[in-house]
Amino acid sequence: MIKIENLEKVYKTEEIETTALNGINLHVKEGEFVSIMGPSGCGKSTLLNVMGLLDKPESGSYKFVDTELLTLNDRERSNFRKRNMGFVFQNFNLIDELTVFENIELPLIYNKVPATERKKLVNEIIGRMNIVNRSGHFPQQLSGGQQQRVAVARALVTKPKLVLADEPTGNLDSTHGNEVMELLCELNETGTTIVMVTHSSHDASFSNRIINLKDGHVISEKINKGRTEELI
Amino acid sequence: MFKLNIKIALRNLWKNKTSSFINVIGLAIGLAACLMLLVYVSYEWNFDKHGKNSANLYTVMTNIPGDDGKIFKTFEGSTTALGPLLKAEIPEIKHLARMNYLKKGLIAVGENSFKKLGKFAEPEILKLFDYEFIEGNAATAMQNPKSIIITKSTADALFGSTNVLNRVVRYQDMEDLTVSAVIKDLPDNTSATLKFDYLMPWAFYEMVDADAKSLNWGNFSYVTMFLLDSQADIVKVSEKVDKVVKTHLNQATQPYSIYQFNKLHLYGKFENGVSVGGDIEQIYLFVGLAFGILMIACINFMNMATAKSEKRAKEVGIKKTIGANRISLITQFLTESMVLTLAAVVLAIAMLEIFLPTFNQLLGIKMDIFYFSASSWAGILGIVLATGLIAGSYPAFYLSSFSPIQTLRKKIQGKGYFSISLRQVLVVGQFCFAILLIISTLVIYRQLQYVKNRPLGVNINALIEIPQEGALKDRYELYKEKLLRSGAITSINNTSTKLSHHNSNFLDIRWDGMTQERNLTIFNQVRAGYDFTKTNGIKLISGRDFSKQFASDTSAILISASAAKVMNLKNPIGETITIHEEKYNVVGLFDDYVWDTPYKSNSPMVVMFADKYTSFITMRLNTANSIQQNIEAVSKITKELNPAYPVEISFVDDVYAELLQKEKTLGILSNLFGGLAIFVSCLGLFGLVAYSAEQRTKEFGVRKVLGASVANLMQLLSVSFIKMIVVAIVIATPLSYYAMGKWLAKFEYHTEISWWIIPVAGFATLTMALITVSFQAYKSAKANPVDALKYE
Repeated sequence: MIKIENLEKVYKTEEIETTALNGINLHVKEGEFVSIMGPSGCGKSTLLNVMGLLDKPESGSYKFVDTELLTLNDRERSNFRKRNMGFVFQNFNLIDELTVFENIELPLIYNKVPATERKKLVNEIIGRMNIVNRSGHFPQQLSGGQQQRVAVARALVTKPKLVLADEPTGNLDSTHGNEVMELLCELNETGTTIVMVTHSSHDASFSNRIINLKDGHVISEKINKGRTEELI
Repeated sequence: MFKLNIKIALRNLWKNKTSSFINVIGLAIGLAACLMLLVYVSYEWNFDKHGKNSANLYTVMTNIPGDDGKIFKTFEGSTTALGPLLKAEIPEIKHLARMNYLKKGLIAVGENSFKKLGKFAEPEILKLFDYEFIEGNAATAMQNPKSIIITKSTADALFGSTNVLNRVVRYQDMEDLTVSAVIKDLPDNTSATLKFDYLMPWAFYEMVDADAKSLNWGNFSYVTMFLLDSQADIVKVSEKVDKVVKTHLNQATQPYSIYQFNKLHLYGKFENGVSVGGDIEQIYLFVGLAFGILMIACINFMNMATAKSEKRAKEVGIKKTIGANRISLITQFLTESMVLTLAAVVLAIAMLEIFLPTFNQLLGIKMDIFYFSASSWAGILGIVLATGLIAGSYPAFYLSSFSPIQTLRKKIQGKGYFSISLRQVLVVGQFCFAILLIISTLVIYRQLQYVKNRPLGVNINALIEIPQEGALKDRYELYKEKLLRSGAITSINNTSTKLSHHNSNFLDIRWDGMTQERNLTIFNQVRAGYDFTKTNGIKLISGRDFSKQFASDTSAILISASAAKVMNLKNPIGETITIHEEKYNVVGLFDDYVWDTPYKSNSPMVVMFADKYTSFITMRLNTANSIQQNIEAVSKITKELNPAYPVEISFVDDVYAELLQKEKTLGILSNLFGGLAIFVSCLGLFGLVAYSAEQRTKEFGVRKVLGASVANLMQLLSVSFIKMIVVAIVIATPLSYYAMGKWLAKFEYHTEISWWIIPVAGFATLTMALITVSFQAYKSAKANPVDALKYE
C-alpha cells in the first residue's frame, strides 16, 4: 500500500545541517503492522511525520496505493490526511477544553459527517474502547491510559486506512501500555495498516515487521515470526 | 463545528478568568469611551442639520474690510434692506425670511412671568425649518401680527399645558399676544441664533422697533436666511447677490456673501472672507481620540491572544493533524474575538447609558443615544465587526500559520522572532499614544490656566451685572441713588453693551494729526454713564472718568491705550476726536481690558458718554457686607423699581469664565479620555505581565530553589516591559512637543511648553507602568516555589 523511495530530509539551522532521512526505501503492505525502532535522533519520528504528511522531505517519492503524495499542495495534503490517516501521539494531544466525546467527534466534524451519524460513530467507538462512563469528562480528569485510549479512539473514529503511532506507550506504565498495544493489535486484525515508532522492543514484538533506523538509513529489517504466523 | 469552536472559546475564557476579564473590561471601556466620543461627535456633526431642507438653507454673511484691503471679519448678519431685494431679484431663492438674533425678553401669563429667548421673523421662516406643530399649523401661525408661537417647554412653564391655542401672553409688559401655535422644543444642537423659546411675526417687530421697519443699509443687527432651489448653482447665486448689492448700493463697502447655514457651526472660522475651518478641527481631534482609545483596547486584545499562542498552538496542531484547514482555524479565532467584542459592546452600551448623564452635565449639553435609529445600530454593528476583525486578525492569522509538528513536538520555538517584536511594537505604540495624551492634557491645562490668569484689566471680583430693561431704562437715576444709599454697592455704571462682549465696531473716526486720508482700523465703541472705570475696576492711565461736575461731559470721550497708540497720540487728554461727524473731547485714557475673547488682543476702543439708551448696569458690591446681604438688597430694590421683570443678576467673574467654555470642554474631554486611555493601557500591561508570570511559574520556581531573591525575580519580569515604556517615551515626547506647539500657536496669547512637562509626563507614565508591573511581579516572585514545581 505504501511505497517510499529515496526519501531525504535535511534540517538546516544557521550553523549546521542535520540529515534526518538519508535515502530511505520502505514498502508497507495493506494490513501490515510495522514498527520503526532506533536510537534517539535516528530519524524515526521524522519518517513518521513525513508518512503522516505533517512534514515535507527534500526529495524522494511517497506513493499511497498509486497516488504520489509529495506533490500535493497543503490543502490536498490536509484533505488526504483527514480521509485516510489517524494519529496517536506519545503525549496524547487531546484538546483540554473539549470533553472526551467532543475530542473524538472533532475529526468527524472536519470530515463533514452529519451530526446523527457522528453521534452513532462516536458512541460505537467509546463502547469499544471501554470509556463509556468517561464521555463527558475533560482530558485532565482521566488517567494517562484512559487519555491514550481516547486518543486512539479519536484516531480510529474516521476508520482510516493507515494509523500512525508515535511512541504510543511512552507516557504510560506497563499495564496501561499493554492495554494500548492490545488495542492496536485488535485494530490491526480488523485490517487497519499501522506504522508505529517505538523505543520499546516489547511493544515492537506486537508487530509483524520491525525496521531499524540509524542516522537516516534503514540498517536492518526483521520479520516478527510469531506474529506473522499468527496472522497466517 | 461552530458550536464546538464556541465551546472551546468559552471554556478557554473561563479557564483564564483574569485575563479574559481584563480583555473584556478593557475592550468595553475602550468601546464605551469611543462610543461616548462618537455620540458627542455626532451631536456636533448634526448641528443645524435637522430639517429636510437644511442642506439648501443659506444665510447672509457680512464681510468687514480691514486696513490692509483684506477682509477683517466675517459674521452672520445683514441689513433690513437686503432681504426683500434678494427675494425679488433672485429666482433661485424659494423662501426667504428676515429675522433678528435671539433676544431675552419678558413673557408673562398673569403673575407667572419669565425671561425667555424670543425671536422675530418673517412668516416664511416656517418654510425654512420643519418645526413640529403640537397645536396650530404653519399656514396660520404667523398671519396675525400680534400672535406668538411658543415651544412646548415655554407652554409648560407659562400655562402648565400645551393645549393653549388663542390664550394670551403678555410680551415685555407692554403688548398682549395670542398664542397661535405650540411647537416641539428645538433640538439641543440648534444654533444659538435659532434656538428660541418663542417666535413672533416680523410685522409685530415693525410695530415695536422703528429700525426693523425702515429699509436701511447701515444696521447689521439682522439675519437673512433663505432656502435655495436644490438645483441652484451656488456660484451663480453668489454672483447675483453681488450684483443686487452693487446696483442698489453706490458704496458697497460691506460686500455680502452667502454661506450654507448648517456649516456655520463647524466651519465658522473665516479668514479674508473664506471659511478656513473652525470647530471641525476639534471634531477631527475627538474622532482621532475615539479610535485611538479603541485601538489601545484592541491592542490589549491582540497582545493577550498572541501571548497565549503558546498554549493555543497545541490546539491548532491537533486540529491540523486531524484535518482542520487554515480557513476553519482563522474562522474559529475570528469568531472567538467577535464573541468577546459582542460581550464588550453590551457592557459598553451599559456603561454609556450609566455615564451619559454625567457626561452631559460635565459638558453642559443634552445628548441622547438614539436606540431606534437604524443608522446608529448599523454604526455599532460596524464597530463590533471592525473591532472584532482588527482584534482577532493577528492571532487568527498568526496562530493558524503554525505547522502541526512544530506545535506538537516541541513547544513553539521562541514563539518566532516576529511575534515578540510585533507585541513589543504594539505595546510601544499604545504607550506612545498614552504619553501623547498626558502631555496634551498638561499643555491644554496650562494654556487654560495661562489665559485664566491673564490680567483682564477689569476687576471682576464682587462685580455684578444686570440688564437695564423695563422701568429701569427711565428710572436709572432713582435706582442708582437707592442702591448707593442702601450700602449694598459702592459704585454703579450703565453701558450700552455687556462688559465681556462688545458688538459695536466702526471705521469713521478722525483725529488731529491723522496722516491717512481715512481711518482703516476697526474701532470698537461703547457708550457709558458716569463711573465707568471706577465701577468696573479699569485702570485709568491719565485724565479722568466721566463726571457730573463737568456739564461738558456730554461730548466727552475716553479712549483705550491701544486706541491712543493707533492714533499716535502721546498725551491724548484734551485732544479732539471726530466720530460720525460728531466732535468729542478726550478726557481720559484707560488701559485695555479683555472682552469677547481672552485669547486675542482687542481692537482699539473708545467710550462715549451716554446718559440714556444704555442696556446694561454693572455694580461693585460693598465688600463690607456679605455677598448674600448685598444681593438680597440689590434684588429687593430692583424688583421694587421694575416689578414686571424678574431680577436677573449675573456675576461678572462667571460671565468671564464662560468665555473659556470651549477650551474648558476640550480640557474636560482630554483629561477624561486621556485618563481612560492610560488606564486601558495599564490594564493591558497588567494582563500581559500576569500572563508572562504565569508562563514562567516553573522557571521562577527553579530559580528560587537555586537561590534567586524576590528582587531578582521582579527585575527579571519587569525590565523588558519597562524598556518598552522608555522607548515609547523617547518616541512620543518629540511628537507631542511638535503637535502641542502647533496647537498653541493658534492662540495669540499662549503659554510655552515648559521643559519640565516632558520629564513629568514620562515619569508619570513610567511610575504607573512600574506599579502595574511590579504588583504582578511581586505576587509571582513571592509564590512558594514548591507549588510551581509540583505540577508538570
